[in-house]
Amino acid sequence: MKWLKLAMKNVLRNRRRAIVTMLITAVGVAAILIGGGFANFTYVSLKEMAARSSGHLIVAHKDYFEQEESIPMEYGLSDYKTLAKTLKADDEVRYAIPRVEFSGLISNGEKSTIFMGSGVDAKYEFKVKGPFLQIEQGNVLSKRERSDDPKVMLGLDLAKSLNANVDDSLTLISTTVDGGLNAVDVTVQGIFSTGMPEVDKRSIIVSIDTAQSVLLTEKVSSLALHLRDTESTFTKYDELSEKHTELAWQTWLDEAFFYVGVKNLYNRIFGLLGIIIVMMVFFSIYNTVNMSVVERTREIGTLRAIGTYSTEIMRNFILEGMFIGLIGAITGITIAFLTSLGLSIADIQMPPPPGRTTSYPLVIDVPTFLYLSTAFLSATICILAAWLSSYKASKKPIVGALSHV
Amino acid sequence: MNIIETHNLSKQYQQGELSVNALTGISMNLPRKSFAALLGPSGSGKSTLLNICGLIDKPSNGKLFFCGEDITHASEKELTKIRRNNLGFIFQGFNLVPVMSVFDNIEYPLILSGVDKKARKERVNAMLDMVGLTELKKHLPDQISGGQKQRVAIARALITQPSLVIADEPTANLDSRTATGIIQLMHKMHRELSTSFIIATHDERMSSQCDSALQLHDGELQ
Repeated sequence: MKWLKLAMKNVLRNRRRAIVTMLITAVGVAAILIGGGFANFTYVSLKEMAARSSGHLIVAHKDYFEQEESIPMEYGLSDYKTLAKTLKADDEVRYAIPRVEFSGLISNGEKSTIFMGSGVDAKYEFKVKGPFLQIEQGNVLSKRERSDDPKVMLGLDLAKSLNANVDDSLTLISTTVDGGLNAVDVTVQGIFSTGMPEVDKRSIIVSIDTAQSVLLTEKVSSLALHLRDTESTFTKYDELSEKHTELAWQTWLDEAFFYVGVKNLYNRIFGLLGIIIVMMVFFSIYNTVNMSVVERTREIGTLRAIGTYSTEIMRNFILEGMFIGLIGAITGITIAFLTSLGLSIADIQMPPPPGRTTSYPLVIDVPTFLYLSTAFLSATICILAAWLSSYKASKKPIVGALSHV
Repeated sequence: MNIIETHNLSKQYQQGELSVNALTGISMNLPRKSFAALLGPSGSGKSTLLNICGLIDKPSNGKLFFCGEDITHASEKELTKIRRNNLGFIFQGFNLVPVMSVFDNIEYPLILSGVDKKARKERVNAMLDMVGLTELKKHLPDQISGGQKQRVAIARALITQPSLVIADEPTANLDSRTATGIIQLMHKMHRELSTSFIIATHDERMSSQCDSALQLHDGELQ
């Protein structure tokens, strides 16, 4: 306790210098936390979006992901309902939703364009997509769609291209599983946006039944497994892929190209900024302790003469550095917390990222581990800086230190 | 037994390419309970010899014994331990720690020695009483006079009841009246605590109080 008191008194010897150093540390810690919190929010959001879009796990015919289909649904799942029931029996699996991926032409009678279609189970699909599918006009597909009145949802840019509105009639034309052509008339139920113009320009969503009737098949392309907890994705993947070796398995990460790209980019940007901030804090504390060491060389000599070990001298300086780091870290954490609180109240929207059309809220979501690791990092930097600057002084010959002016 | 014993001690300093002999062939004994003066003009090697006797500097040649033990080649760690337990220092410039109060400055060597809090308090208060600074125990060094600072330094040097106190020009920075008080205090402490003192000084009043004197000239004992 005596040493802590002494360290605190020494820190306050030059109050202005100590406060400036603490502020630099605080700003550094706050910058790391705010940057990290923003990146974390982005990762969590994109991860959730990707997982809800594809499912946490995607299971398909063993050749589905590797081979090109020569005819539609060549590598489709036949007895998918039994498989879905089996997989759904697992407590951790919330939904096992069938999907039909297909493509073809969509026409309004005057103009035809290419589409990329998804046949979905309306009962679960829109529930899991939640806020990540933005409805621009109309509604999502009904759970009880009449087989004689099939509906379609169009991507925003596709609807614009076809000049289509809700309740308009369009025709889907696609190659069937037999290699022939089939056409089905559909009514526009809604218009959606994924926020990605490239996707919205081609995407349509129909019910599984409609997609199967276009392709003349009973098969589906894949089953999307939605788990209760995203974090258990990879353990579940290992477990299920080992159990069902006759099938091919993927995780959401295999299809989350945007998530992976953003994460790689942000990790580099924020990583570099983090290193710069850490260096700035390190040199600031090093400089402060170094100045203090030089000013107190004579005192160090006195303390050494009266029987203080050089390690004890260093310990005192390290405690001083730790105090600066600790107070700086606490202040920085407070700044970051208040900033994240302020931003959540202010509801500031970020401009859409490249390749997207929708803005997103500026939210700073700092996970507990980031608070703890930043505080630990700050203390470590301070200890290292104090150790480096005091090491030389503590080893200086006592006579030389005592005659220091 | 002697506190300090030296055999043919010498010390050379390197100043650029020149080698300067600060001490040459010093052989001396400092018996227990002595109150010795180290005399000589400036540059005669007083401080160098004092530093070696205080184990804060090492001789270039010769042998050094502390309480009968050869410590010529002792490690820095061993020397620090001896200084902590057996030596006290009084400096010309007082060398108090400015952020510590009078009480804390005197208490510091006891903390190093691992004395418990209650015993520390008792011993520091007794020492403050002996040096007449009880009223000022909460003051910082900046808030007391030069003579009072030197009293604190004396108290700090003696608080661990060391075998030997090294004093380097303890009255040089004080006016004559205060210096007389400090000399009397050191002599009183020597008598009451039976601690040996070796004092480098120019002050004749100080040297006249000493029971022995070592005269140095150009690094050699006269």
